[in-house]
Amino acid sequence: MKKLTYFPGCSAHGTSEEFDHTLKLVMKSLEVELDEIPDWNCCGATSAHVMTENLALALPLRNLVLAETLHNDTMGIACASCYARHKVTKYELDKDPVLAKKINTTIDDGTYHGSVEVKSMLQFVYEDIGIEKIKSLVKKPLTGLKVACYYGCLLTRPKAITQFDSPEYPMSMDRIMEALGATAVPFDFKTECCGASFSISSSDVVLSLSGKILEYAKASGADMIVVACPLCQSNLDMRQPGVEKLFHVKLNLPVMYFTQLLALAFGHDQKDLMLGKHIVPVEKALAKIGKEPEKKEEIKSKKTVESEEAK
Amino acid sequence: MITLGIKDQHTFLDEVNKRSGCNILECYQCGKCSGTCPVSMYMDITPRQVMQFVKLGMKDEVLVANSSWFCLTCAACSGRCPRQIDIPRVMETIRHIAIEENISSKSKKVKDIRKFHDIFLDMVRRYGRGYELRLMAEFNIRTRNYFKDMFLAPSALGKGKIKLLPARMKTAKAIKRMFDMAKKLEEQPKQ
Repeated sequence: MKKLTYFPGCSAHGTSEEFDHTLKLVMKSLEVELDEIPDWNCCGATSAHVMTENLALALPLRNLVLAETLHNDTMGIACASCYARHKVTKYELDKDPVLAKKINTTIDDGTYHGSVEVKSMLQFVYEDIGIEKIKSLVKKPLTGLKVACYYGCLLTRPKAITQFDSPEYPMSMDRIMEALGATAVPFDFKTECCGASFSISSSDVVLSLSGKILEYAKASGADMIVVACPLCQSNLDMRQPGVEKLFHVKLNLPVMYFTQLLALAFGHDQKDLMLGKHIVPVEKALAKIGKEPEKKEEIKSKKTVESEEAK
Repeated sequence: MITLGIKDQHTFLDEVNKRSGCNILECYQCGKCSGTCPVSMYMDITPRQVMQFVKLGMKDEVLVANSSWFCLTCAACSGRCPRQIDIPRVMETIRHIAIEENISSKSKKVKDIRKFHDIFLDMVRRYGRGYELRLMAEFNIRTRNYFKDMFLAPSALGKGKIKLLPARMKTAKAIKRMFDMAKKLEEQPKQ
């Protein structure tokens, strides 16, 4: 039984509960024991590094120090933003021990040694578990389902820090989806930023950026978008009605977490996937599994996000 | 019109270079960053222009522009920069200098973005973990946009996407102490 130190992040009990829940189902099937960091704190997300230098490193450092007490070699993080913050902190402090010592003075929980590796959950599933193992566990193949894998900007960038997959055109999630029997459509917007933390402070930026991603995914022939980041899921799903309203477009494109599809393919029932949490309903897209591919829906409207924005 | 003397011209450039760990003089203005940046159309001066302004020592213009505040830190620009300049890091340095020197843009959008970040950090200081309901409510109140996203509330609360009560940490005091200690470090003179 593999053990993985787990950092859930603030959204795991709220906006991305379905991600956390299905991740735990999947890890059970993969025979990985999740060791949650005791009394972890918020990583500071975007706000800490935008506004501060030292606090931005201190917040993740506390979690890294607590992770070391669990004595597992790797820490897996579900949220892409939390992953980026912990990874960047580890990168900066491993590079500069003087800085590490300085930031360490802000916490009481121990001394940082840099002994735990930090990976995103997508990276862990792809690298540490592998495609063959995933294929062997598939009970209900997702044949007939066409997905656009959306990675967002933080899972594979900056390349020097993440050292995972491609910063321009990653394929890890695509390969996982293909291993489950789904078809991963070619999708050029897979790493275009969704607008991230501007969701609350500058919603119009998110509507524009996420709108283009949704539209492009639809034009690529996808039945749904698959994500590995709570903020991306929130922007593409919760803000989708807003996009439709602002740009006079019809999208109806559900957004699911890759762990939900893994859980489904591994044999879990649809009612175990917390599908009720989605704003854009997913049932219609999931009904395509096991059916003959339909003729590609012709988009009749001449209106697009870009054309409406230009007005 | 450049009105700064040669000495001043290099002080800002040197400071940004040192704090960001980059060498902005390497930039040969190819414009790939601006072309790639998903939010360059929202910026007063585009990423390419920001590099040039810093090179020319146009400190006031750079600090007052909204550009660094719109930067998403998505690293699409630095991934493609042929000189491998860490542009997001340069943007971050500009923001930090603007905060330290108390220079704020007159733009309402920038003020809203900064308010959001202040509220977010206050939330983390209080609870140690996120409390989205408070974050959204406080942001609406402080930006006097009381009904923003109200239409989302029924589905978000009903589906349990946003919780009514905050998550609690056992050692929330450790976070308050961390904030205070980090602030003391910020107040130390920059090396």
